[in-house]
Amino acid sequence: MNALLTDAVFDPIRIPLDDWFNDFINWLTFNYRPTFQAMKVPVEALLDGVSAVLLWLPPIAFIALVAIMAWRVAGWRIGALAAVSFTLIGMVGLWDLTMVTLSMVAASVVVCLIIGLPLGILAARSDRFQGGLRPVLDVMQTTPAFVYLVPVVMLFSIGTVAGVIATIIFALPPLIRLTDLGIRQVPEDVIEAAEAFGSSEREVLFKVRLPLALPTIMAGVNQTIMLALSMVVIAALIGAGGLGRPVVEGLNALRIGQAGIGGLAIVLLAIVLDRLTQAFGEGGAAKRG
Amino acid sequence: MIRVESLHKVFGPKPDEALRLLAEGRTKDEIREATGDVIGVQDVSFELKPGEFFVIMGLSGSGKSTLLRCINRLIAPTSGRVWLQTDDGEIDVAQAGPSELRRLRQEHLAMVFQRFGLLPHRTVRDNVAYGLEVQRVGHAERVRRADETLEMVGLGGWGDALPSALSGGMQQRVGLARALAAGGKVLLMDEPFSALDPLIKMQMQEEMIRLQRQLGRTIIFITHDLDEALRLGDRIAIMDDGRFVQVGVPETIVTEPRTPYVADFVAHADPTGVITAGTVAVPPEHPRVDELRREPGSRVLSHRTQAEVEIEVADDGRVLGMRADGAGAELVPIDTLLAEEAPTSRYRDRAAVVHADRTLRTLLAARNVCNLPVLVVDDEERLIGLVTEREIIHAIIEKRGHNGDTNGVTA
Ligand SMILES: Nc1ncnc2c1ncn2[C@@H]1O[C@H](COP(=O)(O)OP(=O)(O)OP(=O)(O)O)[C@@H](O)[C@H]1O
Ligand SMILES: [Mg+2]
Repeated sequence: MNALLTDAVFDPIRIPLDDWFNDFINWLTFNYRPTFQAMKVPVEALLDGVSAVLLWLPPIAFIALVAIMAWRVAGWRIGALAAVSFTLIGMVGLWDLTMVTLSMVAASVVVCLIIGLPLGILAARSDRFQGGLRPVLDVMQTTPAFVYLVPVVMLFSIGTVAGVIATIIFALPPLIRLTDLGIRQVPEDVIEAAEAFGSSEREVLFKVRLPLALPTIMAGVNQTIMLALSMVVIAALIGAGGLGRPVVEGLNALRIGQAGIGGLAIVLLAIVLDRLTQAFGEGGAAKRG
Repeated sequence: MIRVESLHKVFGPKPDEALRLLAEGRTKDEIREATGDVIGVQDVSFELKPGEFFVIMGLSGSGKSTLLRCINRLIAPTSGRVWLQTDDGEIDVAQAGPSELRRLRQEHLAMVFQRFGLLPHRTVRDNVAYGLEVQRVGHAERVRRADETLEMVGLGGWGDALPSALSGGMQQRVGLARALAAGGKVLLMDEPFSALDPLIKMQMQEEMIRLQRQLGRTIIFITHDLDEALRLGDRIAIMDDGRFVQVGVPETIVTEPRTPYVADFVAHADPTGVITAGTVAVPPEHPRVDELRREPGSRVLSHRTQAEVEIEVADDGRVLGMRADGAGAELVPIDTLLAEEAPTSRYRDRAAVVHADRTLRTLLAARNVCNLPVLVVDDEERLIGLVTEREIIHAIIEKRGHNGDTNGVTA
């Protein structure tokens, strides 16, 4: 067969992109591993703090607290849902793992907020910054998580913290996008009114833009939480603890029951957190009418 | 208080080019063809005294809001100056630095918006207190002043509500209260009463007049309502295509429109509220008034159409007395006359004395209770002239003052 009609046609001009990529990560690891390791420290401290509290709290107290909080912000139905879900989780013997997962999600979301809110605000202020940020966010959001597990492991080693960092990369984009969108959607006439009375830019941001963008930002937080939960199993592949473990182990050993209850706990957690954050966002929206 | 000098605002990509073409005398349409620019405001200059109530009228799109926004620089003027009198002398808003601009807006330039611009996430009270909040006024004081102002605009009990719970007219009053509470010496008001029902509108107008008189606020007020303009304005500017085509006191605008555009604008004005007694009065030197005889220290005038009326006037111009049908007639200040219970038939032995600034409306009321000509006097009680039914009717038909012309038409 004619070589021109097969993929042999590319042979003379094969681009060794895989090698380049390899070299780049190796170079990064070789030169900057200490920097990346140092970045783990605050994340680790946050994670340890949250999980220490959650694991110390007696389950009964935790369930009561969550149920009351859910009832206050989202009504008695969600309150009951939260109580039943966590009780069920405890009864199937996954309490501690759930608390670990919850602290991982919480730590990732907190870091996402710390990074994402300022970036979102900056993106809303400057079209150029937004233009530069958009492709980065696209890459973060569309790259399959498995692809960056390897570089994450090389730079951050394995373990729960590395899992949290992978989660952050995956869960951050919607928060930035929706913060940007929410701020840009604030009606111009309201901002003008605030400016006409002599507000500084800071006052316009904190007294007008952010409060009015809050429902949209909360939608971003909600998506970030959901994405973080969807990373629980994948993070377990690089040694992260929590509910991903029984799922991965169950998968490897074909213990379908073990994987099943792990999955169930993740779903319950997702439903409760979703309803809760949605209620937060709608609370803001309802106030605005 | 405020002095605006040759203000221009060009929207579009090449403002400098547009200004140059404008100076060459090109029309707006030619400029839009050439540069793609829209002229929002073109060469507007005016000066306001402290406490003056200045009304701007004009068709939709004539540039009223743009002009108002240039004054507090929500829109940056393309060229021109906006001098504002402050305790530190005159400051040009158009050139002020960022922190100075903020201070000027906080202390001098409160604004009421055409589209309200309320903060939807704050209660009505917190909206009204917003100006004070950015001025760093303490919480208790803020709440006190906000509630006070809400009371003033008739929204006493609504402080805790959110704006979305209020009707359009109520929201507009919240916007008004916000500007009033901020305490600026200059109020920029963009159609502040457009969403109010007639009754509330009237109350708000009275409140504005009171505010201006008592607190000495200088007010720039945009409206589409001619009666409102005539009622409130010390002066009125008519705007067309970004320019002031005529600026003047209400009476001049109504009685001497300078262009067909202005004439169209005031065609349906009710003249009785603007034309003053002084303009319609027939003066003593008028052909229709005879000077009968001179006596030492005074003279006697007689009105030809009402031959029996004779008025004795001192040499300094003050009215000494009046005779009607040979019998003495009592001279009564018009307000006294109007305050009395109206007689069943019109008086023939009492005549009303009225100040030259009073309007035709007052003269009509006086004609309703007494038959004799009304005597129009100035500040020092000197006779300016007489008004009979004939002058009033002429003025209403022609929308003109008498100004010495026999048939009531002046140029
Ligand atoms: N941001 C802008 N960009 C371009 N053109 C503008 C802008 N703002 C206003 N204009 C134009 O300037 C002109 C004056 O508008 P302006 O809003 O001042 O009118 P107005 O007299 O207040 O009208 P209305 O009585 O309807 O409120 C209009 O032709 C409008 O199209
Ligand atoms: Mg307007």
